[in-house]
Amino acid sequence: MPSVCFYFQVHQPFRLKRYSFFDIGKDHFYEDDEKNRKILDKVSEKCYLKTNRKILDLINRHKGKFKVSYSLSGTAIEQFELHRPDVLESFKDLAKTGCVEFLSETYYHSLSFLYSKEEFKRQVEMHREKIKEHFGQSPKVFRNTELIYSNEVASFIEKMGYKAILCEGVDRLLGKRTPNYLYQAATTLKIKSFLKNYSLSDDIAFRFSDRNWTEWPLHADTFAKWVHKIAGDGEVLNLFMDYETFGEHQWEETGIFDFLDHLPKEILKHPDFDFKTISEAADSLRVRDIYDAPDFTSWADAERDLSAWLSNPMELESARRLYALEEKVKAIGNKDLIDVWGKLQTSDHFYYMCTKFWADGDVHKYFSPYDSPYDAYIYYMNILADFESTIEEAYKDFKSVKKVTKKKETV
Amino acid sequence: MPTSTITKSPSHPKILMLGWEFPPVINGGLGVACHDLCIALAKKANVTMIIPKSNPDFVVKNLNLIGLNTIDAKTLRNVGFNDSYKKIKNVHYIDANLNPYYNNPADGKFQFNMQSQYLKTIQVGNETAEVFHIDDLYGGDVIEKVTVFGKLAANLAHSLEFDIIHAHDWMTMIAGMEIKAQTGKPLVVHIHSLEVDRGGPHSKGWVYQTEKRGMEYADILMPVSNFTGHVIHDYYQIPWSKIHTVHNGIRPVVPFLGERQFKEKMVLFVGRLTRQKGPEFFIDIAERVLAVDQNVRFVMAGTGEYFNPLLERAAEKGIAHRFHLTGFLNLDKVRELLSRADVYVMPSVSEPFGLSAVEAVQFGIPSVISKQSGVSEVLKGSLKFDYWDVHRAAGYILNLLHDEVLAEKVRQDAYKDLDNISWDNAATTVLQGYRKFKLIPEETDEEQKLTNTVLS
Repeated sequence: MPSVCFYFQVHQPFRLKRYSFFDIGKDHFYEDDEKNRKILDKVSEKCYLKTNRKILDLINRHKGKFKVSYSLSGTAIEQFELHRPDVLESFKDLAKTGCVEFLSETYYHSLSFLYSKEEFKRQVEMHREKIKEHFGQSPKVFRNTELIYSNEVASFIEKMGYKAILCEGVDRLLGKRTPNYLYQAATTLKIKSFLKNYSLSDDIAFRFSDRNWTEWPLHADTFAKWVHKIAGDGEVLNLFMDYETFGEHQWEETGIFDFLDHLPKEILKHPDFDFKTISEAADSLRVRDIYDAPDFTSWADAERDLSAWLSNPMELESARRLYALEEKVKAIGNKDLIDVWGKLQTSDHFYYMCTKFWADGDVHKYFSPYDSPYDAYIYYMNILADFESTIEEAYKDFKSVKKVTKKKETV
Repeated sequence: MPTSTITKSPSHPKILMLGWEFPPVINGGLGVACHDLCIALAKKANVTMIIPKSNPDFVVKNLNLIGLNTIDAKTLRNVGFNDSYKKIKNVHYIDANLNPYYNNPADGKFQFNMQSQYLKTIQVGNETAEVFHIDDLYGGDVIEKVTVFGKLAANLAHSLEFDIIHAHDWMTMIAGMEIKAQTGKPLVVHIHSLEVDRGGPHSKGWVYQTEKRGMEYADILMPVSNFTGHVIHDYYQIPWSKIHTVHNGIRPVVPFLGERQFKEKMVLFVGRLTRQKGPEFFIDIAERVLAVDQNVRFVMAGTGEYFNPLLERAAEKGIAHRFHLTGFLNLDKVRELLSRADVYVMPSVSEPFGLSAVEAVQFGIPSVISKQSGVSEVLKGSLKFDYWDVHRAAGYILNLLHDEVLAEKVRQDAYKDLDNISWDNAATTVLQGYRKFKLIPEETDEEQKLTNTVLS
């Protein structure tokens, strides 16, 4: 009985201003408020509202047979709270159907796992609270930022109590095996790894409107046929993608909403197939094999590794300096400063600095609000310089207060 | 690398190149670009050249006009051509005292329209001198001379075998037109600079008219950048379908690390102090940087009509102690500066290519360059700004000076760009152009393999 598991990523960063060298020491507000608002509005209209409506409609139409899973980053939720509460409401409506599962991730959609496990845990906890607050769910399934995964990640997440974790189905680790089963990381006891079927996922997310594609235009029944083919050698089909696929990356004119509209019906035509949330699939399916991932993998670019964020000296240097501030930021204990520090951790900032100049370079450019990776790095480092000096000042004050308090105590 | 030992198949194009070798012994600019392109093309095609050859007296008269009396005709006659076309089998000279840098005096501007600072230098033995005025005495005579040259070239062409005519800039364009008219062969014109660049967008005199007519008559136009392609399209109304960009290459150089003369960092500008190169923007940028960081000196290597105004401006702005104009410098001295600079700035207002920025890259200097330049299209490893955006340029300089990670990254990326900035690449692009416009047949697979192995 193969199950189709749809998982949608919903994320918006707090994009940074074009912060020049001359602003250091003068301007302490780093976000490009106007740009973030504009983009949020645009994506809300073109994607979130339309697609949520469609998904809700499909859930009702199929009377509980259609299920999906989401992960909403903390930064996205925060922006909905600030500017588009209507979008938040539409997600709440989805939650109320009982057919939608919300997953767990780091609040700031960050790379913190790679730098500070303590910070990572803090962000996961923050995120859990948000999900509980708005959707009344306590996530049982985890997905790390951009599906960054390894044996170590799986093991760590298992110890935090999750029953399942999502990751990319990487060819070089699968070998000849199919991603359409549940796997287990080499170092874990029972947490279940869900591997993305990137071929079928990317058919929808990337190739759907490509006129040069042999399968263009893609119809729901054709795709359903491909889905049905996994019967006999597969128990789960993990279709993981960015939610913006619907309406934003694939515009409405491409027919993506019609495709979505017909897809559940076409897939359900085969009596053996059903839709499950990740948790449901985890509960009903067993692990088939070990999937050994000693190094980090992700769902980004052709390499499916960390190179999208941490491959060049600019990315590495800025991340290093950022996380070097952890101790002082936390010692000071100022909520606002900690939040600023948290928002600077969003993986997008480093993604924009990537200089891999081949095919994937184009994808990076589309998403980047800046003219060049150098600009992204320059603005980020200027901001960091300003933030560092703020932290230095606050830390000095904090230490002198400590001294005074100590003196008082000893007297 | 072997030059003429490659077996050329019958489908290798036969090109009649209308080249330049004036002024003699000058290193750089149009003469070098033409020469280096030809040598690269000769590896894959049969190249026959027609070159206008100026007699030494003509050259001397030119130099005398500028007031350089240190060179006499005898000396010049004895000095050989530095860049000879020895590697090309068929080279024909036509006596024609033509100057490719001719400027229409009616426009009242005597601007040197070369792309590289090298063009200023003439080295005759140990003497170096600068050429900065173009012959204005020849006036209407130029029209006659160019026409005569054209007819002589066409005459000569009848006895030569070729498939394609390839000219460089407007003067040889006229010869090319004449040859096309008489032989019916297709005409390709390589555009290094245009009247609109040299004299400004309102320069619509007879040189402009000739350029426009020529470009309309030509079959393919090969500008040295997309930027120049835009100028061709926007200011001459030539359709994009005729335009095929061929980016310039550069000669490899052996860079060296020089000793600092002063402890401060150096931000360098190399080029003519003329409107086109944006020197006033450089001084504005300097002012902004120095307001925040005094540990840097701004150096401008070159001379031109803006020399005095810049000195005064620097004094007015109170930055004279950190702002230096070197005046005219020869090639070696410029390279010395390049060997010590920390940042290179090219604030050009309108630059067909901008080889000087590539020279900076060869010396490992991170560059901040104007988006209104051809070279910005081939240098990924550089920080780019609109020439009027002095705030942004100043910010870039400060970031480069204060962040070694950034400077190193830009340096490394630019170094990789150098792989593609070569005359072999340019020659390949030229041949691709010929094929695209069906002037020559497509390469067979075997020929492709041969080309690839030879070049690897």
